[in-house]
Amino acid sequence: MQRRQLLKSTVAFSAATVLSAPAIAQTPKKISFLTWNLVHLEAQIKGWIQGFTSTRPGVEVEWIDKKGPEVPVYYATQLAAGTPPDIVDIQGALGLEYAAQGALVDLTPRFAAEAAIKGRYDPDYLSNWVFEGKSYMVPYYVSKTLLFWNKTRFKEADLDKPPANFDEILAAADKIKGGDKTGMLTLNFDWLYWPLMMMNGVDLLSKDLKTPTFKTAKAEEVVAKLAAATKSGAINSISWTGRWVEPNEAFATGNVGMLQAHAPAFFWIKGNGPWINGETLGAAQMPGDWATPNSHGLGISKGSKQPDLAWDFVKYLTDSDVAMQFSRVASVLTGNKAVDQAILAKFEKDDPLAFQVLKTQVEHTDKMCGNWRLGNDSRVKDAFWPEFQSAMLGRKDAKTALADAERRVLRELKRA
Amino acid sequence: MTSWYQRKRTRELALVACFLAPALSIFFLYRLLPLGWNVLLSFQSWSPLKAATWIGVDHYEEMLLDDDVFWDALTNTLIFIGCSPIAIALALAIALLVNSDLRGAAIYRTIVFLSYPLMTVAVGIIWRWLYDERGGFFNYVMRSSGVIDQPVKFLQSFDWALPCVIAADFWQVLGFYMIILLTGLQSIPQHLYEAARVDGVPAGARFWRITLPLLRPSIFLCIVVGILNSFTSFDLVYVMTNGGPGHATELLITYIYKAGFGQSRFDYAAALTVVQFLLLVVLTMLANKLSGGNAGSLER
Amino acid sequence: MRRAPSWPRHAIMVVVSCLMLVPFYWVLKTSLTGENIYAYPPHIVPVDPHLFHYVDVWYLIPFPRYLLNSVIVTTMAICGNLLFNTVAGYALTKQFPGRRWVVLLFLSCMLIPFQATIIPAYLITSWLGVLNTYLGVALPLLSTIICIFIFKASFEAVPKSLIDAARVDGLSEWRIVVRIMLPLSKAAIATNVVLTFIWSWNAFLWPLIVIRTSEMQTLPLGLARFLSVMEDTTGALFAFVVMVLVPGLTIFLMAQKEFIRGLTSGATKG
Repeated sequence: MQRRQLLKSTVAFSAATVLSAPAIAQTPKKISFLTWNLVHLEAQIKGWIQGFTSTRPGVEVEWIDKKGPEVPVYYATQLAAGTPPDIVDIQGALGLEYAAQGALVDLTPRFAAEAAIKGRYDPDYLSNWVFEGKSYMVPYYVSKTLLFWNKTRFKEADLDKPPANFDEILAAADKIKGGDKTGMLTLNFDWLYWPLMMMNGVDLLSKDLKTPTFKTAKAEEVVAKLAAATKSGAINSISWTGRWVEPNEAFATGNVGMLQAHAPAFFWIKGNGPWINGETLGAAQMPGDWATPNSHGLGISKGSKQPDLAWDFVKYLTDSDVAMQFSRVASVLTGNKAVDQAILAKFEKDDPLAFQVLKTQVEHTDKMCGNWRLGNDSRVKDAFWPEFQSAMLGRKDAKTALADAERRVLRELKRA
Repeated sequence: MTSWYQRKRTRELALVACFLAPALSIFFLYRLLPLGWNVLLSFQSWSPLKAATWIGVDHYEEMLLDDDVFWDALTNTLIFIGCSPIAIALALAIALLVNSDLRGAAIYRTIVFLSYPLMTVAVGIIWRWLYDERGGFFNYVMRSSGVIDQPVKFLQSFDWALPCVIAADFWQVLGFYMIILLTGLQSIPQHLYEAARVDGVPAGARFWRITLPLLRPSIFLCIVVGILNSFTSFDLVYVMTNGGPGHATELLITYIYKAGFGQSRFDYAAALTVVQFLLLVVLTMLANKLSGGNAGSLER
Repeated sequence: MRRAPSWPRHAIMVVVSCLMLVPFYWVLKTSLTGENIYAYPPHIVPVDPHLFHYVDVWYLIPFPRYLLNSVIVTTMAICGNLLFNTVAGYALTKQFPGRRWVVLLFLSCMLIPFQATIIPAYLITSWLGVLNTYLGVALPLLSTIICIFIFKASFEAVPKSLIDAARVDGLSEWRIVVRIMLPLSKAAIATNVVLTFIWSWNAFLWPLIVIRTSEMQTLPLGLARFLSVMEDTTGALFAFVVMVLVPGLTIFLMAQKEFIRGLTSGATKG
């Protein structure tokens, strides 16, 4: 009897030990945070993590940073291995793709439960990541495109204000060009060139995102005009070939009249163009106030073992205090209305030119284009862009290029 | 006696097995297993968060019938390979020049080879810079010597981009070809040349009749290196043009990468990988045939 | 015997050498010059040469740490290669059933590009539990097929009589490899060291995926950082390129004689 008792208790004890082992192993709650190209903020990010963990005993936050082109590679391998980082910082439409693949937690219920969090944000920016009616991301830092214009080049060409419509853009570009000088540049990655199409009423897809709407006479005219301007040198062809550094560099030399880019480009070109000051550089909305957003949001991976903790961390990172510090050190707007007001006020005082640039980011947020909430955005982009590029560089005429693009886009839409 | 011999033989076999095991397991884990996985995946519909379902040859059908980019990438890859004989011929010319009793031949040899050990990412950065419109070497030389008056946008041009990337690749791999050919040259017995000279065979004929035939194994090796190189020049293209403009410099390997990681279509990328592998095998066998079946020189 | 004058050959080789060296010079010049490197026309010689870009690199990234990581990974790869390739090469000199298949297997493995195996390779590495470790980075690089064949060729060149004599003296197989084969295969060793060095030192895509934390990054990853879109470091980029290339070139120059001999004896003569 006694022996049996002993045996029983031994079994019970060891069972308890085995069962409790995972619990013990989990005690230090660990979440990981993947950022997109923020390695230059190492000191600050580590500080914020410290601030988060110091009030939460047993919580650990691992910080990983990857460069833009590497984030998708990294995240894909982590998803495949079943160990995705709990919190991910994702740029642009990629967030929608991950959402469509089921990689991200639907944050709609969380927003519904905490109206105060939702209320922090500009609803237009917040809706950048609404996929099929659900919210997947909290804005982290936001931006959209605007038009930078080189006042010196404009003066030389007897112009004194930024163009007000598409034809004025081309006319101004044409007047400025000559020798080493070109009239206009645009960034092209993601869909950043789309305002040029949208201001002419050309959209990529119908409202229901099912049919291409860009094969129209108007679109052909616009593409042909852009291609002709590129050929003549009014539009610098780097617009269609460069990624980030090349177009910004070219504009920073001072030889280009206009640059369509998003706000972060300003700090880059300012660092590279000694000529830049309030007298020489202007910042304006594109005609029609159209702009393509290129914002970063924070999402939570569905594979996260600590979704509540991850949500806490997201809230912590985006609350006014931390967001304010982030906004200051990184010179970005956050989409958090209160923070953005405060930072704009600060810039208005300290750096009027930067203020002029950043102010455009909170205006006309209802006129965002090139942001179609597709679950397969990158495929549609890869179908459309090479054809568009061929037209711009004179490899195909506008009609053929758009027809080919339509065929390829349709194919991607059908596959989805 | 027999049992002693057998024991010895068993021990030897065990030894062989032990000696081969580490290398084989590495290649099994990091080459064969992934390849098998790719083959399997190419017939399935799969993404990191979706259970695999069997879809047969859909991916292959799409690739062959419905994917222009695949054909672009294939064409470019074949052009890349097709150009490697030019580099091999150049390397052969250099090898012939430095193989002689030329004083300082070792220095020339070192200089030509110097670009091979470089990191390919760095080679890409260097060459992108050489092609730059303003700070680049080529535009500077051509503009200041009056050959052109407008800068050429090498890497932004549909016509120039691929030749430019190939030139950068040549620069890196030329030295490697040269060394391989030099070895081949040095293994050709001198007395053959002596005999030919005595018989009054002119230098040109000596090259065509003696040097070239005896160099066949080395040339085969160069061609294989060239083929492999065109399939693995990922870093170079990634840094220099990322496949652009359009798909003008897209290679199969960059397209595989884009399909997999850019568009999250790992299943489709797997099908592309399988096609690329088959192509490699076919091309290598073809090169082997053409060079007279000397591939065995690697294994004797 | 009549000799052709050597100066035309010298002339050609001087031109070729200059062409081969231009890229080196141009990047070195750019890293040293004080002018705006994007202004046209560029200068042939550096204007106000300075080392600021190098200092920048030093402060921008933990260069010594990256260097250390690269050195550790490369050392592991070289040791693994020397050990595994030697024994595998030696095993291939023996006759055994299935030898043809093993050789065929090795040859076909050569044709599988690594980029195409990333995801499975990653899953396997994760399954082995060595993600974000030096071992994880070095593992796929621990053996190289071409070097196995180089060792095999080199071992086969060792006179049979020497091995038989050693057997008669009662030396074990392992001893034969270490005492007789290896000392006679210095060129193959040098080749293996240099090739492994080149490949592991330059590896980019694999460490990119396996390494999680910034403390574990290797130099090529540091290089990729510099291509980063947000940073104004273009002058420093070229300084960093020079800093990354110097170790590789140094190793190569030190071992080049043996290396070239090893390649020539192994790869083509078989």
